Amino acid sequence: MDVGLLGQFVVNGMMLGMMYALVAVGFTLFFGVLDVIKFSHGDVLMVGTFAGFTTYIGMTAIGIDNALLQLVGVLVISIGSMAVMGAIIARYLVLPLKSAPPLNTLLVTLMLGTVLREAIRLFYPDGSNPKHFPALLPTDSWAVGSFTLRADSAILLLAGLLVIIGVNVLINRTRLGLAIRAVAQDEETAKCMGINFKMIVLLTFALGSGVAAFAGVMNGLYYNEINFGMGLLLGVIGFSAAIVGGLGNIYGAILGGFLFAGLQTLGAVALPFSSAYKDVFAFAVVIAIIAWRPTGLIAEKTSERV
Amino acid sequence: MDQQKETVLAFRGLTRRFGGVVALNEFDMELDNGQIVGLIGPNGSGKTTSFNVLTGIYSANGGTIEFLGQDITNWPAQKVYEAGVARTFQRSRLCLELSIFDNVMIGNHKRLNQGILFNIFQRKALKAQIEENYSEAHKLLKIFDPALAEKIFDPVGSLRMIDRRRIEICRALISHPRLLLLDEPSAGMTHEETRELMDDILEVREMIDGLSIILVEHEMGMIERVTDKCIVLNFGQKICEGAYRDVASDKLVQEAYLGGE
Amino acid sequence: MTQSLKDKLVILSLAVLATAFMITFLAIEEQAEIFALLVLAAVLVFASAKFGLIETISGCLSRNERLLNGAVVAATLIVAFWFYEDHFPLLMIATVLLYTVASCGLNMQFGYTGVVNFAGAAFFGIGCYTAAVLGETSVPMLMVIIVGGLVAALVGSILIIPVLRTRGHYAAVVTIAFGLLFRTFLEVNDALGGPQGLGVSGMNIFGWDFNSGITLTDDIEVSFYMNYVILALIMVMLTFVLMRRIERSWIGLNFDAVRLDETAAACYGIDIKHWKILSFTLGNFLAGTAGALYAMMLGFIAPSNFAFSDSLILVSIVLLGGMGSLWGTILAAGLVVLLPEKLQAIQEYRFLIYAVVMILILLFRPQGVLPRGLRAYIPGWRG
Ligand SMILES: Nc1ncnc2c1ncn2[C@@H]1O[C@H](COP(=O)(O)OP(=O)(O)OP(=O)(O)O)[C@@H](O)[C@H]1O
Ligand SMILES: [Mg+2]
Repeated sequence: MDVGLLGQFVVNGMMLGMMYALVAVGFTLFFGVLDVIKFSHGDVLMVGTFAGFTTYIGMTAIGIDNALLQLVGVLVISIGSMAVMGAIIARYLVLPLKSAPPLNTLLVTLMLGTVLREAIRLFYPDGSNPKHFPALLPTDSWAVGSFTLRADSAILLLAGLLVIIGVNVLINRTRLGLAIRAVAQDEETAKCMGINFKMIVLLTFALGSGVAAFAGVMNGLYYNEINFGMGLLLGVIGFSAAIVGGLGNIYGAILGGFLFAGLQTLGAVALPFSSAYKDVFAFAVVIAIIAWRPTGLIAEKTSERV
Repeated sequence: MDQQKETVLAFRGLTRRFGGVVALNEFDMELDNGQIVGLIGPNGSGKTTSFNVLTGIYSANGGTIEFLGQDITNWPAQKVYEAGVARTFQRSRLCLELSIFDNVMIGNHKRLNQGILFNIFQRKALKAQIEENYSEAHKLLKIFDPALAEKIFDPVGSLRMIDRRRIEICRALISHPRLLLLDEPSAGMTHEETRELMDDILEVREMIDGLSIILVEHEMGMIERVTDKCIVLNFGQKICEGAYRDVASDKLVQEAYLGGE
Repeated sequence: MTQSLKDKLVILSLAVLATAFMITFLAIEEQAEIFALLVLAAVLVFASAKFGLIETISGCLSRNERLLNGAVVAATLIVAFWFYEDHFPLLMIATVLLYTVASCGLNMQFGYTGVVNFAGAAFFGIGCYTAAVLGETSVPMLMVIIVGGLVAALVGSILIIPVLRTRGHYAAVVTIAFGLLFRTFLEVNDALGGPQGLGVSGMNIFGWDFNSGITLTDDIEVSFYMNYVILALIMVMLTFVLMRRIERSWIGLNFDAVRLDETAAACYGIDIKHWKILSFTLGNFLAGTAGALYAMMLGFIAPSNFAFSDSLILVSIVLLGGMGSLWGTILAAGLVVLLPEKLQAIQEYRFLIYAVVMILILLFRPQGVLPRGLRAYIPGWRG
């Protein structure tokens, strides 16, 4: 195969992997602190992207058309608003169901996802059609042989990497991270040690949702198109990645995300009929991998205590 | 008694680890037909784990389990039950939404006709089976508490802790097991209630041929009164075995308990 | 007056009331009137709850199951025959009935056994597509319904391994992925009509063509949908009997034990996999049969009928009615299907409204509107 095409596939795969990993990290964080599955995660990402898009339109409307300023505005509003929303979801939907059967939490967040999706479809101006997301990053490109690396791709990859490292440092090196890990280990003991359990849960949900919003903006900047249904696919794959990586484990989530992207890219290269069947293939991979490794590549913390 | 001094259960070098924790370490024990054995030891010494490994919830990392002459090491939980082992759980595990009768019938699984066609199409025969099992469950419950037997169609969630313990024991006994595993049956009960419960268990034992019991208990009065012998675990290892009197005066045991507290 | 006579009178008058309500509800078209009728019904329900009437009524209903079942079937028939020449109300009734069958399938899966399935619409859709494909062949159409169910069950068995192997509710993601896969597959696949979908031939039993009206006399012409109403009603009755018998047997007990505590169930000999497979397969079978007849009735199907939100509608029916509750499922299927059809104002917003209602239900009344009661193995039997 042509080197340029191959390079393109690699960049594409890395980008996908980065996005999946960012979504998966959220699932893993929520599962860690609260043992819950929050299915609205993908749709929170979608709403975050729309929030960013709206910010861009607003800024253009009031005459700010410096791309860098716009980018900062988009990121700040998108991430900030989703962090707040994540905390609100945790406070009013997830925590109240803490002692209910886990199925109820799953259902409640699944329904919330529908609410978000439908709200955008119905109430966002012309929300049922895809939107053109602006290219706010420089589009210069470097040619290496027949392969061209675009600056925006490189910046996005770098930024994604930085966010992942940032989250990792936050979890493993700071007091907040310590508290989050303590709660994840053992809620009761953590409470006894004077950790404000509720606060930590809210902060974790804010963090995970903010990261998802970042992934959403990244998605918009890369593909230049967003729509109300985009969160569903990203959510399902992100969740599968988190499971395959072993829920509750950040490195597992990252690994799972890149694994999915790798397989999807491989499928796109190897299967002749794949362009039309791209998503069919992605979902088939989700099912197959879960069947193969239902509890993850990296083993889970403990077996259930009886 | 002595005419059938047959070994019901034997652990040989049973080992189970959780990560770095060795929950059971080369555990050997034997249990004779009709015996009641007390399994004691400080918190975290591996008592519950031995039940879990025996009943197939956890697999063993080493060693063997022999039950009625068969090697049942690492059998799935269902097969262990079929072979005649029934248990209760330290933290009560009843289906709170279901009635007392339903919960007891869950324990009777192997004696009920589970055929799909039977259950859907042979309603008459099913009805007869239900009625038959109803009277048996009623009789068993009555031994523990006549009032409870009258509430047989009430949901378990509406009952007190002591009643739930009783139902769990009935669920274990209804299928006439050869070995009953009781994991802290008296947790959360008063002394008086504990005594009553143990009397009931002894009464039922007379009804079931060759029933042996392993009793995990922190309440030493109960252990002293009912057990034929005691086994003491500490950090997954057997440190002492014998009659309660001898065990209680053993130096190692006293240290383990003092150190463990 | 004896207790039993009183009971019977109560049931009969309730049946009359419900029939009159349904007829009025389906007949009126003025939005304000429909709204007023719904408010009236809501006020009546709340008032009777307030004055403790609900307990009296439900006691009376559970003492007379046979009469209740008969009254409901009779009421459905009366409502259907009242509209004998109108297509739309009959189509609505048949749709409610078929959604009931499909939701019963889901109820078996996660109401009874706790096996989540968020691809209900996909299994329903498999039934639809089976009917479309087999309609072209010489397979007898009554058989097609069964085959629709079998194909759904068979396709579902692909998912059994991942569903069984995943712990707890992770299985949810497997079914979601499958539902999305099914829809995308239909859209990109040319053989099955792609996004445009397929036409489906109507039901035909031994030469009795369902898609032509029935002329009784010169001026009485019965809508062809009546055929489908009757067949769908028969399917509901069969499903109801099956669900009831399963619930009131050791199988139902095993299902409950699996749902409530897998570990304890395993320690008492209950083969978790066996019962999960049975309930998953039977549930998909039911959804598939419902889909097959539905496709024949509509005469046309397209991938857009089987989206993720359609699966969530089936889930909503189960939740709204109450997990594992049969009457609840029937009531909820009626509400969920009919309300948006009658109230045009909410038609567009129905997914949003359902989702919000479901969140409220889960937060404040997780047992649903008609919670399932304790198992009564033999009706009226108390030992
Ligand atoms: N599922 C598990 N995962 C990890 N560690 C476990 C698990 N189950 C038990 N352990 C560990 O194994 C050891 C033995 O536990 P076990 O529950 O058998 O103790 P026990 O004797 O029953 O104590 P107690 O009197 O408190 O019930 C403990 O250190 C416990 O932490
Ligand atoms: Mg224990």
